[in-house]
Amino acid sequence: MNPVDLLGKIIEISHSNLELSSRITSILNIISRDMGSEEVIIYTRDKDRRLSCRYANQKSVLFKILNQYRCHVGEGIVGSVAQKRSPLFYTKRDIPPRFGCLFYPELDGRIENYKLFAFLPLADDSYLYGVLVLCSSSRDTLHDADKIFLSILSREVGGILCSYELIVSSKKRISELATLTELGKILTSNAEPHDLLRNISLIIAKSLNATFVTIKLGYAFLKLDSHRFTYGTIDPSVQDHVEELEGAATRLLRAVSIKDCAPDEYEDSFRYSLFSAPIVSKNRVLGTLTICGDRAGQNYALGEDGPYLINTIANYISSGMENTLLNTRLRDAIRELSDAQKRLIEQEKFRSLGEMTANIAHEIKNPLVIIGGFTKRLARQIDIDRTGNKYIRIILNEVTRLESILNEVLNYVKETPLLAETCNINDYIDEVLYLLTSDVSWEEIRVVKEYDAGLPLIACDSQQLKQVLINIFINAHEAMRGIGTIWIQTKQAAYENRPFVAISIADTGGGIDPAIIDNVFNPFFTTKERGTGLGLAISNKIVMNHKGHIDVENVAGKGVTFIIYLPAKNNTIKEELL
Amino acid sequence: MKNARILVVDDEENIRLLFKEELEEEGFEVDLASNGLEALDKLKEGRFDLVVLDIKMPGMDGIQALNEIKNANKDQPVILCSAYGEFKQDFSSWVSDGYVVKSADTRELKQTIKNILGL
Ligand SMILES: Nc1ncnc2c1ncn2[C@@H]1O[C@H](COP(=O)(O)OP(=O)(O)O)[C@@H](O)[C@H]1O
Ligand SMILES: [Mg+2]
Repeated sequence: MNPVDLLGKIIEISHSNLELSSRITSILNIISRDMGSEEVIIYTRDKDRRLSCRYANQKSVLFKILNQYRCHVGEGIVGSVAQKRSPLFYTKRDIPPRFGCLFYPELDGRIENYKLFAFLPLADDSYLYGVLVLCSSSRDTLHDADKIFLSILSREVGGILCSYELIVSSKKRISELATLTELGKILTSNAEPHDLLRNISLIIAKSLNATFVTIKLGYAFLKLDSHRFTYGTIDPSVQDHVEELEGAATRLLRAVSIKDCAPDEYEDSFRYSLFSAPIVSKNRVLGTLTICGDRAGQNYALGEDGPYLINTIANYISSGMENTLLNTRLRDAIRELSDAQKRLIEQEKFRSLGEMTANIAHEIKNPLVIIGGFTKRLARQIDIDRTGNKYIRIILNEVTRLESILNEVLNYVKETPLLAETCNINDYIDEVLYLLTSDVSWEEIRVVKEYDAGLPLIACDSQQLKQVLINIFINAHEAMRGIGTIWIQTKQAAYENRPFVAISIADTGGGIDPAIIDNVFNPFFTTKERGTGLGLAISNKIVMNHKGHIDVENVAGKGVTFIIYLPAKNNTIKEELL
Repeated sequence: MKNARILVVDDEENIRLLFKEELEEEGFEVDLASNGLEALDKLKEGRFDLVVLDIKMPGMDGIQALNEIKNANKDQPVILCSAYGEFKQDFSSWVSDGYVVKSADTRELKQTIKNILGL
């Protein structure tokens, strides 16, 4: 075979899918055949930097002897080739005396029939993988071309060994990486925090062959109810150690193993290998990750590099938790945003609806006034009290009702600018109560007042605010059917760190059915036969225009408390404090 | 002042009729106009103790008419009267002496008139 074909063949084999040892053996066989050398042997370097004879062509005789001996780099011929990383060639003529001895002590006298030896380092620029040895009895000369060819050959074989070595050391890394990748996938997913932590422990346990994995949260992370997420079962005999380790990891802020904690008694006899690492985010320990492997088991979870791996995983988890936190916040923000958008669209719809309603109501108002006005005149003319014409009374009642509906609708849809004045809300409540309670229908209603005398002033449109109070009082009155207690309290309150005035109005009217409570502020929502469903809608709108809000505390079966929050006017002093 | 003269300005014929009859029943002398310009003409021709002015009218609306009336005679009492309280807060309506929301129940209107006329 010409050198090019030979090299081609070798490269082909070296890139095949065969097992490493059979790949190398095939290559060595080919070299043996083609170069006419009975022995083609490879020494490889072990972890402890010694060279041992690992591979040979099939027909090799020396292999069985040579592979019983290992030599240091620098020792003997093989060792010195390895050290100098330059090839050595010997032909019959220049074989030094007692060559066999230099080669291998027991080989003396057994290699006399070889006429040619070649020793080639298998190395690249930075690393030595081994030494290739050729012995031939049929050839006794080596041309330069042969030497060049052999050096190319050795580089190729070195390459195979190199990739093999990489593979072996990578294999472990890869399995760790696979774990981390799996984790990464979960951590970047949108899983709920709860599922996230459960899945994490599952993946770690599965991929590391762990007996159990447990994540303990020290912080209330995203309102998770459970604080420990475990995959597998914690053997009662290690329960205490787990807690001990978790404590140590949190304290020391680094990965710890059972050896760090337990005295010598555990060192060898202890059945489990146990590691804990803190899950740290922004200098805050969120919790701990603990992994437990069975030493007796086949692939027990973590070896010497356990602390390193568990730390890496813990870091992953912390960034995952941060992610989830961000995600959750983001999701909330998006939800809020889309809510706001929906509200905006609603408002927009409502505005044009409002305009239309205002126009219609306006157009209806005049005819209604005319109908009602003349009916009244008619009633007076025929002296309704004497004739008792009930039809006219009905028309009049309905006109009055229609008018009041129209007024409320118009009130609700029109944009009323605020005429702000500074006021003490206590006074207005009293004013409104005075007006209302002068009516006989309020006789059986007890009014209890608890005013805060030092209430801050507010800026408000008194007319509109009185409207709000009236609406709420009238609802309470209606709910109690004229009998019960209204309790009114005013006090200072803080909302989002700003000073507010809170006006609570509670009644004993049986409360609101929880099924409908979300609707009570909707325009036109009413449970009353003759209600307009606009009272609370208008009140809400007015309070919102005042940059306040209304809360409802409902005790079904008992009563409702409406709480009106209005921003206190003079909050400059407080603001300075903030 | 029982025979006070009142000018009712409204674009709706039947509203004019209703107000006329109601107010005459109270003993007032009532004249009518169907828009702002006509009202200004009537005010030039004769003296009125009070003007009841609708706001929403074609041509010159009530607010404009109010300004014109007050410009000509700032002591001329005017009551704004509209289908709903849309201009209650509008500062240009502050110039008016009263504000009444139209209703089939004319008592508020009558009371406001009497208040202004000091009856
Ligand atoms: N104090 C209250 N007690 C019980 N239910 C109430 C109370 N206030 C309001 N509600 C409920 O809320 C609904 C809406 O009230 P509102 O907007 O004032 O309209 P309306 O009074 O015309 O029905 C009422 O029909 C009633 O069902
Ligand atoms: Mg109501």
